[in-house]
Amino acid sequence: MSEKEPIIQINNVHKRFHTLRGTVHALRGVSLDIMPGEVVVVVGPSGSGKSTLLRSINRLETIDGGSITVDGIPLKGARNINKIRAEVGMVFQQFNLFPDRSALGNIMLAQRVVRRRRKGEAEAKAQELLAKVGIPEKADTYPGQLSGGQQQRVAIARALAMDPKIMLFDEPTSALDPEMIKEVLDVMLALAKDGMTMVVVTHEMGFARAAADRAVFMDEGQIVEIDKPDVIFSSPSHERTQRFLDKIL
Amino acid sequence: MDERARQALDLPPLPDNDNEGITPVGPYERFIGWAAGLPWWAIILGIVVVVVGYSMLTSEAYRRVIRQLTDNPQVSTDDLFFAVLLVGDKETTTGMLARADSVETVIQQLIEEVDPAEADDFGILVSETQTEITLRTDDGRTITIPKRDIVDEKRTETPDAIQVEVTYFVDTEIVTGTVTDRAGDTLTIRTVDEVSETFAVSRVLSRDEQGELVTIQREGEIITGTLDTLNNTSIKIRVPGADELREIRRNEIVELNLPTLTLAVHDPGQERPVNPGEEVRVAYINGADLTNVLKELNRLDTVDVPLFSVPGEAQVALVGYDSLDDALEATSQGEVDALLYLDDGPERLAVDEWVTAHPDANMSVVLLRECETGCQVMLKLEDDAITGRIAAEDAEAITVVTTEAVTIEVDKDRILEERRMEPGTCALNNLRGCNAGIFLTLTVTFRAYALALIIGLMFGILRVQTNPVLYAVSTLYVEVIRGIPLLVILLYAGFVISPELRDGLMIFDLQWLGDSMPDVVIRLPKINLNDEWEAVLGLSFGYGAFIAEIFRAGIQSIGRGQMEAARSLGMSYPQAMRHVVLPQAIRVVLPPLGNDFIAMLKDSALISVLALPDLLQLGRLYVSRTFRALEGYNTVAVLYLVMTIFLSMMVRIIERRARLPQ
Ligand SMILES: Nc1ncnc2c1ncn2[C@@H]1O[C@H](COP(=O)(O)OP(=O)(O)OP(=O)(O)O)[C@@H](O)[C@H]1O
Ligand SMILES: [Mg+2]
Repeated sequence: MSEKEPIIQINNVHKRFHTLRGTVHALRGVSLDIMPGEVVVVVGPSGSGKSTLLRSINRLETIDGGSITVDGIPLKGARNINKIRAEVGMVFQQFNLFPDRSALGNIMLAQRVVRRRRKGEAEAKAQELLAKVGIPEKADTYPGQLSGGQQQRVAIARALAMDPKIMLFDEPTSALDPEMIKEVLDVMLALAKDGMTMVVVTHEMGFARAAADRAVFMDEGQIVEIDKPDVIFSSPSHERTQRFLDKIL
Repeated sequence: MDERARQALDLPPLPDNDNEGITPVGPYERFIGWAAGLPWWAIILGIVVVVVGYSMLTSEAYRRVIRQLTDNPQVSTDDLFFAVLLVGDKETTTGMLARADSVETVIQQLIEEVDPAEADDFGILVSETQTEITLRTDDGRTITIPKRDIVDEKRTETPDAIQVEVTYFVDTEIVTGTVTDRAGDTLTIRTVDEVSETFAVSRVLSRDEQGELVTIQREGEIITGTLDTLNNTSIKIRVPGADELREIRRNEIVELNLPTLTLAVHDPGQERPVNPGEEVRVAYINGADLTNVLKELNRLDTVDVPLFSVPGEAQVALVGYDSLDDALEATSQGEVDALLYLDDGPERLAVDEWVTAHPDANMSVVLLRECETGCQVMLKLEDDAITGRIAAEDAEAITVVTTEAVTIEVDKDRILEERRMEPGTCALNNLRGCNAGIFLTLTVTFRAYALALIIGLMFGILRVQTNPVLYAVSTLYVEVIRGIPLLVILLYAGFVISPELRDGLMIFDLQWLGDSMPDVVIRLPKINLNDEWEAVLGLSFGYGAFIAEIFRAGIQSIGRGQMEAARSLGMSYPQAMRHVVLPQAIRVVLPPLGNDFIAMLKDSALISVLALPDLLQLGRLYVSRTFRALEGYNTVAVLYLVMTIFLSMMVRIIERRARLPQ
C-alpha cells in the first residue's frame, strides 16, 4: 500500500436507528479519510454520533448508506468481518474487561481463540504488554480488584495483543477519576509516538494538542469541521464549534 | 447485573456480601466458607459420595421394609434372563394391514401362524386349572402346557402322585437362566447353576480310578418345624424361615418323634362316683410342659373315662411327681385318680408299655394320642451317599460339585423377546439392583436434570437471538410448556408420546396432501422407551422451559459491552458466546439452577403416576398395606427433606465458590 492511500475511507455514511419512539438519524452523510499512522481526535456534543461513527468502523454497527473501507477491504459484505475486527482494536469508555478472568487471562483469551497462539506465546505477549502499559505486577489480579485506570490500561493491552493496525478509543478516560486520567493518556501518547493509527473520541484537549494530527468536530450526525487540533480548539471557523467549546471550557 | 435480570433470576435485591461484616458468623456459615474454599473436584466428589451413600443406605432400608410387607423376596441373581424362543419354522406372511394395528398384535398373529412343532413330556402333575396343566419332569423342569395345545395325554395314578405323559404343540418356549455369553449369533444361557458342597475328607466313601469322581457319605438332615399334615406316606412340616411347606416321604425318615399324650386312670374294676366338692387328683411329671398337656387335652371332644360325675362342681387337683415311676406307683395305688403324660422322645410310649406289662396294677390307658397337626416335631432323615466331581481338595476338606451347570445355546434369530428379570438386591457390586425408592428418585432426577440443562441452554440461547424465527420457536416452547402443569406433561410423555414412539412416530403422510397421492408414510424408527425414560423425558421437557428462562436472564444479565468487547477482538458470535458470555452467565445462573434442581427433585414425586416405584410410590404402598399413613408419609417427607437440605447447602457452597474476587 502506498503512503498516500488512506487506511480508513469513510464515504457519505448514513446510519438510522429505528426505535419505538421513532427513527434517529445518527449519521447523516459522514465522509472522512484517515492516513496510516495518523491520530485523529473526534469531539462533539452528546448524541452527535461520535460513538456510532467509531463503532461503524469495525462494524459493531451496520451502516445504512455510503461505504467504509478499512485497509483496502470494503466493510459491506466483507467475507471475514472477524479478521477485519482483529485488525482494528477498540477501547471502550466502560473498559468492558472480562470480570471472570485475570488481567493476564483477559489479554490472552482472544490471542488463543482468534489468533490461535499457543499458551506460552500468548502469555509472553500478555506479560510484555502489561509491562508496556505499566502494570506488570497485576498479571494475576481480577478486574474487580483493579482501579479504573489500571482496568483501562489492561483493556488497551488486550486490544494491542491482537497486533491491530488501527486503534479506536471511545472516550477512554470519561469514566475515570481525575487522578487516573493521566496514566491512561500517557499510554495512549506513547502509542501515538510509536506510529499507531488512532481514532480517539475524547474531550481531553491536552491529549489532542499533544498527540493528534487532526481534530474532527461533529454535531447532529455530521462532520462540521476538520482541522489541526490547535485551530479547532483556539479559533474554530464554525459558530457551532465555538458554542460547543464555550460549554465545555 | 441489572435489577430486571435480578428479578427474573429471583435473586435477593441486595448482594449478601454487603452485610457480611455485620451478621455474626456461625459454624454453619464457617462450614460453607470452608467448603467453598475447596477445589471444584473436591466439592463434586463430596456431593457424589454423599448422594450415593445416602441413597444406598435408604434404598436398602426401604427394600427390606417392602420385602417384609410383601412376602415377596426378589430374585437375586445378577444376570437372570428370560427369552422367548420360537420353535418350528418361521413363516413370513406378506400382505396389507387392513387397519392400523399395534405391534404386539401383529407379532402375536405371526406367532400363531408359525408351524407348531410337537413335543413329548413326562412328569408328575403339579397342578391343573381349567386352561392349563403344570408338570414337574424327572429332570427337574416345571412346565406349564395350555390345554388347547395338548394332542394326546395319558395319566397313571400311583399312591403318591399322578404321572402324566403328554404330547403337545409348542410354538414358543421360555428359557430362564443366566446369560454367560452373547457374542456372535448365539446366546448362551445357563439354566441350571452349578451346586457344590464341602465335606470333611473323612466322609469320603470311594473314589473312581481317574480320581475325578468321589462318593461321599452324607449325614441325614435333622429337620425341626411345625407339623402341618401327616399321612401314611408323607409328612408335611412348616420349617421356620421358609415360605413353603416341606413335604418328606416317610420312608426317608429314620427317626420321627411325634409328641404323644397318654391319659391313664386308676381303675379298680368299678366306676367311682365323684361328688360335688370332691377333688379329682391328676398326676403329672414335674418339669413337663403342663400348658402343652392341657392344650392337647382341650383339643379332645370327649374322653371315655371310667369315672362318672354327679352334677355340681368338681375340682381337679394336679399333683406333680418327680419321676414317671413314682407317678405310676401312685396311680396304681389309687393315690391319684389319673395320670397325664406327654412326651416326644423315645420314651413317649412308656406309660402304655408299663400298663401292658403290669396287668394287676389296677390301671388302664384311656387315651393314647399322637399329635396330628400344629405341634413342634423333630425328624431325622436317613443318611445317604452322594457322588460328584471334585472341585477342590485339601488335607481336611473336599469340595464336590453335586449338580453340574446346564447351559443351552440359542440362535439369536430364534429369539422373539428377551428381557432381564428383576435384578437382585441393591449393593455396591450390583448397582443395577438399585432401581427403586430413593435411587429411582435420584437417577430420574439426575438424568432429567442433565437433559433439561441441555434443552434449557439451547432454548435459552435461542431466546436471545434477533432472528425472528429462532426467537419465535423458542418462545413458543417456553410459553407452552410453562403454561401446562408438569403432571399433565408427564402423562403426555407416558401415555401419548411414548406409545407413538413405540410404533414409530409418523412424521409425514403423503395422503395429507390429498387422497389421490400414493400411500407413502414417513416414520421415525421405532423407539422403545421404558417407564423410567418416559419420566425423564417428561420432567426434562417440563423443566427445560424454566431453565431456558434462567439461562436467558443470565445471558441478558451480562452487559452488551462484554459481547461487543469480545467481537471487537475478532471473536465470532459463537466464540464470544462460549468464551466470554456463557462462563459469566453460568456464574450468575448457578444458584437459580441449583434451586431448580431442588424443585425438580421434589417434583419427581409426580412420576409415581407412571407407576414407577419412586420414593413416594413406595411410601404409598406402605401406607396402603399397613394403613399407617402418619408413619409412611413422615418417612417419605423426612427422606426428601434430608436430600433437599443437603442440596441447598451445596447450592450455597457453589454460589460462594462461583463468586468473583472483588
Ligand atoms: N443502539 C441504539 N439504538 C437507538 N438509538 C441509538 C443507538 N445508539 C445510538 N443511538 C442514538 O444515536 C445518536 C448518536 O449516538 P452516539 O452514541 O453515537 O452519540 P455520541 O456522540 O457518542 O454521544 P455521547 O457523547 O453521549 O457518547 C443518539 O441520538 C443516540 O440516542
Ligand atoms: Mg459516545
